[in-house]
Amino acid sequence: MRPGNRPFEAEPTDAEIEAIVAEAIAAEASLARTEAAPPSSAIVWWRAQMRARQEAAAAVDRPIRIVHAVAIAAGAGLMLSLLGYAAATLKGSSGWFGGVYQSLAATPLASVDLTSRWVMLPITAMLVSALVATIAAYFIYADE
Amino acid sequence: MADATFLDVRRLHGDADVDTSDVALAMDEDAFRAFYDRTSGALWGYLSRISGDRQVADDLLQESYYRLLKSAVPFESEAHRRNYLYRIATNLVRDSKRGPRPLFDAGVEMSEMPAPQGPVDAEGRTDVRRAFGRLKPRERALLWLAYANGSSHSEIADVLGLKTGSIKLLLFRARRKLAATLQR
Repeated sequence: MRPGNRPFEAEPTDAEIEAIVAEAIAAEASLARTEAAPPSSAIVWWRAQMRARQEAAAAVDRPIRIVHAVAIAAGAGLMLSLLGYAAATLKGSSGWFGGVYQSLAATPLASVDLTSRWVMLPITAMLVSALVATIAAYFIYADE
Repeated sequence: MADATFLDVRRLHGDADVDTSDVALAMDEDAFRAFYDRTSGALWGYLSRISGDRQVADDLLQESYYRLLKSAVPFESEAHRRNYLYRIATNLVRDSKRGPRPLFDAGVEMSEMPAPQGPVDAEGRTDVRRAFGRLKPRERALLWLAYANGSSHSEIADVLGLKTGSIKLLLFRARRKLAATLQR
């Protein structure tokens, strides 16, 4: 067989393959152009503006909400420390407050060992839960 | 394409009092609308053929333009902006694989898309679509960018995140695969 004369079933050349592919994709691209029905540029622009505004507002609001949450947590911590300080002061007082403390100390509660870990752990857990619940409630209602 | 103006849209949504002038986007309205009108049809075609799903193409089209508007890239030319848009679109299609509705699986059959309306060679086009759907998504993207968009190798590499030197070989393989499928 002479060079250049290929049998009918021979592999197509690279040029033939490229022509087949180019023709097929051009036809498909032409069809895609007729099928395409994108929304108008005005609508897309308007939606983009609205979304950008919403995202900008959310970005501004986020640090404020974090500061609020930290403030609530700090306030709760301050309250707890003040309560502890007040309890210690009452214990050492000899006046009316001291009398109240002494009468409380006479109740069965006084027999509870507050330094025991079986008492401290549940109390700590309750305090931490109360703190976390306060912050969580803040975020839930802030979203609403 | 619907011929609605910005004011029409605002009136339709009852937001005529909304001031949108203070939102920082990468383009002004006129420039964006002109760019969108020039490119949206072709991008929709790309998205629909790469994803194999018209609904996905509709969704990702707007997302692509939004991300372009939010980008802080200084574009040197229209071509640079267009390539960047196609890169965003390609990444969005790729990312959609991780969603509840995977697109880059072999199971996506573009031949399942509705047949074109009108007196056209529907059978031949369905064959093309079926053959195209059997390619890997990257091969579809390569061929579409090269033959439908007429992109250069460096542009294709830029859009798909590949090395320019590898495009020639990848295109060669994709061409042979598509041609073999078409000839079956």
